[in-house]
Amino acid sequence: MARVEDQAGLAAAEADISQAGARRLDLAFRSGAGVFSVLLLLLFWQGFAHSGRVTPFMLPSFTVVLTYIKNDAIGGDLWINLGLTLYRATVGFLIAAVGGITLGALMSRNKYIHWFFDPIISVGFPMPKIAFLPVIILWLGVYDVAKISIVVFDATFPVVTATLAGIAAVEKELLWSARNMGASERAMMWQIVLPAASPQILTGLQVALPIALIVEIIAEMVMGGYGLGGAMMGASRFANSPGVFAGIVEIAVIGFILIKAMAMIRRRLLIWHQEAAEPTTA
Amino acid sequence: MDGQAQIVIDKVNHTYRPPRGRPVPALANVSLEVRPREFLALLGPSGCGKSTLLYLVGGFLPTERGRIEVEGKPVIKPGPDRGIVFQHFALFPWKTVRGNILYGLERQGLPRAEREARAQSFIDLVNLNGFEDSYPSQLSGGMKQRTAIARTLAIDPNILLMDEPFGALDAQTRSLMQTELLSIWQRTPKTVIFVTHDVQEAVYLAERVAVMSARPGRIKAIVDIKFGRRDPGIFRSKEFVEKVDELWNLVRDEALKAQEAKAS
Amino acid sequence: MTAIKTLIRYSPLVLLALLWEALARLNIVDSLALPPLSKVAVAWIDLIRDGELITNGEASLYRAFMGLLLAVLFGGVLGMAMARWRTLDIFVNPLVELFYPLPKSALIPITVLWLGFGDGSKILLIFLACMIPVTIGAYNGARGSEQVLVWSARSMGASRMRMMWDVVMPSALPELLNGIRTGLALAFILLVSSELIVSQQGFGYLIGYLGSTGAYEGMYAVVLTVAFLGFAADRLYQVLMQWLLRWRE
Repeated sequence: MARVEDQAGLAAAEADISQAGARRLDLAFRSGAGVFSVLLLLLFWQGFAHSGRVTPFMLPSFTVVLTYIKNDAIGGDLWINLGLTLYRATVGFLIAAVGGITLGALMSRNKYIHWFFDPIISVGFPMPKIAFLPVIILWLGVYDVAKISIVVFDATFPVVTATLAGIAAVEKELLWSARNMGASERAMMWQIVLPAASPQILTGLQVALPIALIVEIIAEMVMGGYGLGGAMMGASRFANSPGVFAGIVEIAVIGFILIKAMAMIRRRLLIWHQEAAEPTTA
Repeated sequence: MDGQAQIVIDKVNHTYRPPRGRPVPALANVSLEVRPREFLALLGPSGCGKSTLLYLVGGFLPTERGRIEVEGKPVIKPGPDRGIVFQHFALFPWKTVRGNILYGLERQGLPRAEREARAQSFIDLVNLNGFEDSYPSQLSGGMKQRTAIARTLAIDPNILLMDEPFGALDAQTRSLMQTELLSIWQRTPKTVIFVTHDVQEAVYLAERVAVMSARPGRIKAIVDIKFGRRDPGIFRSKEFVEKVDELWNLVRDEALKAQEAKAS
Repeated sequence: MTAIKTLIRYSPLVLLALLWEALARLNIVDSLALPPLSKVAVAWIDLIRDGELITNGEASLYRAFMGLLLAVLFGGVLGMAMARWRTLDIFVNPLVELFYPLPKSALIPITVLWLGFGDGSKILLIFLACMIPVTIGAYNGARGSEQVLVWSARSMGASRMRMMWDVVMPSALPELLNGIRTGLALAFILLVSSELIVSQQGFGYLIGYLGSTGAYEGMYAVVLTVAFLGFAADRLYQVLMQWLLRWRE
């Protein structure tokens, strides 16, 4: 006995499958266009560098930069720098993620905690917190701890803000349904509130990750030493133009990979969420 | 009142306190008794407080003045004995249909095999076979509401609180769902308090209809509905039309008052 | 009533200030690393009086303002043009997507390589970095222009240019303004960062100088000044945004 909504449901399921196919095609096309543009850019780069209008110092040719990266990789320096930057940025990000979500959750439950931290978050958010780097160096020295600390400092804010917003947006009927079914007050946060707020929390994490990378690189540039930022700044001081451009390429690639990875994680975790198609510009 | 009342609502007052603005009286001296396994409709214009009354019985709002007792015990918090179904479904979007229905059963600590079997039986009951592993975002409105009903029925509440459950559905789906609800109720009789502003729906589904006045809500009248049959053909019968008329007359003035109150 | 509410809301900051003062004075924390807030305040006044803070501040703010202004002009036009002309969109869009995830701080060494330590490199840095969010904001805003509004304007005889100005720009305004707000925050971050790394003038330079000479009270004073300026700029911008968008509900 086929019912109206069942048939509608089946039709919707079928439409879903063909829509997924169409989306994959669209994605392939856009990736294709993306790859095409990157290639075009590289061609322009190479051409412009060889055109004689700029010195090899101002714009080393792409092939020169590529060779530099290759040598760096073979020599081992690339991996050391890359590894250190990634390590510090990721550790800082993870601490900020856990700490930020925890703080946001606590603030939503307890009005005193909320009262205390609210102006700190609200005033601190738009501040260029990197300005506090010299203070952190004063307190913690010039090693990993300081770098990770400034990353945590900067990356926590968007996470807390997103967590607060996400939790506040959970509809009360959802909470009431859970209570109705016998959920205890303590279980609510883990079983209901955080899952319901997860889309917004994940958005906060997606904002925090690039921030973590940016701040880490700045910290390395200020403090010197190993790391992509430190290496880049060192190259700059020594007028090593291919070195600087190599750094840009490396950092760009890392940034791209991290953002894509985060987007993939989001898609996996939020497979249940009905999200509109992404706009063409990220 | 004849027979034992299962739910006693006695001189209940409630004030709605918005975060900004002045407090508004929502319910004024509401008294009502609900008998076991009866289907009672709460009918009234929007804003009259009928949902508020439902939430008070459910224990989601604290009873400030007056008393509400279920089977002799005062209502202090929500519980699985009073299952609720909301207008906008309130399904857990990160759980599948099966996951949603299992949630209440997990809270009750049933052993795994029993949980799964029970959940499946309710999926069958509301005709959602084949969609057990779908997420709410993939379902139509009617399917979502059926999931919500199955979820609430699965915890085997004595009392079913329904807050305009079909209000968000299109007319056709709504009509089908009404018939389906009646057949489920006839198979597994529970006490139902059904909130609605739709007079026809109230007459079709309920055995008794409590008509509420405009805000602040009070019980204006209680009307018995005694029809022999409940199939969709009944909408055209003379008794049905007369009953709808009778109730509409009771409601109309209140509806107008509610309109004016909104405009001011 | 609201004055009292605001007071209550921000009072934790006052508490923190008192805590700072107490921790430093009672030497619970090494008062070299954390000088009392009162001494920081005195140092701040000194820096104002001998002009150090003002001259450096002017230099910094000039660079940030110029860079941002150029980014807003170029980025705004580019974004709206991309929304209007499909061919431009196809070409430039992937480039924007490419540069969007680039940590803008990576541009610091390159602008220094090209233009040295002075104003030029900082302005170029901020210009390049802030172009991205502004362009994206303008683009998304212009894309969202209600098709119906555009058609109405066209049917009333508006030329393409006229339409850009009368219809597309106002409806693109909210997203564009948000993009500029992101650019504003980014400008401050890059300004401070680049000046901390290498500079002969400006807030960052002053912080570094005071830090290296052990004048920590002064260092704290400038750090707090910059942080506060960033905050104030954002708040003021929000007021401006609300005024510009006052026709929105």
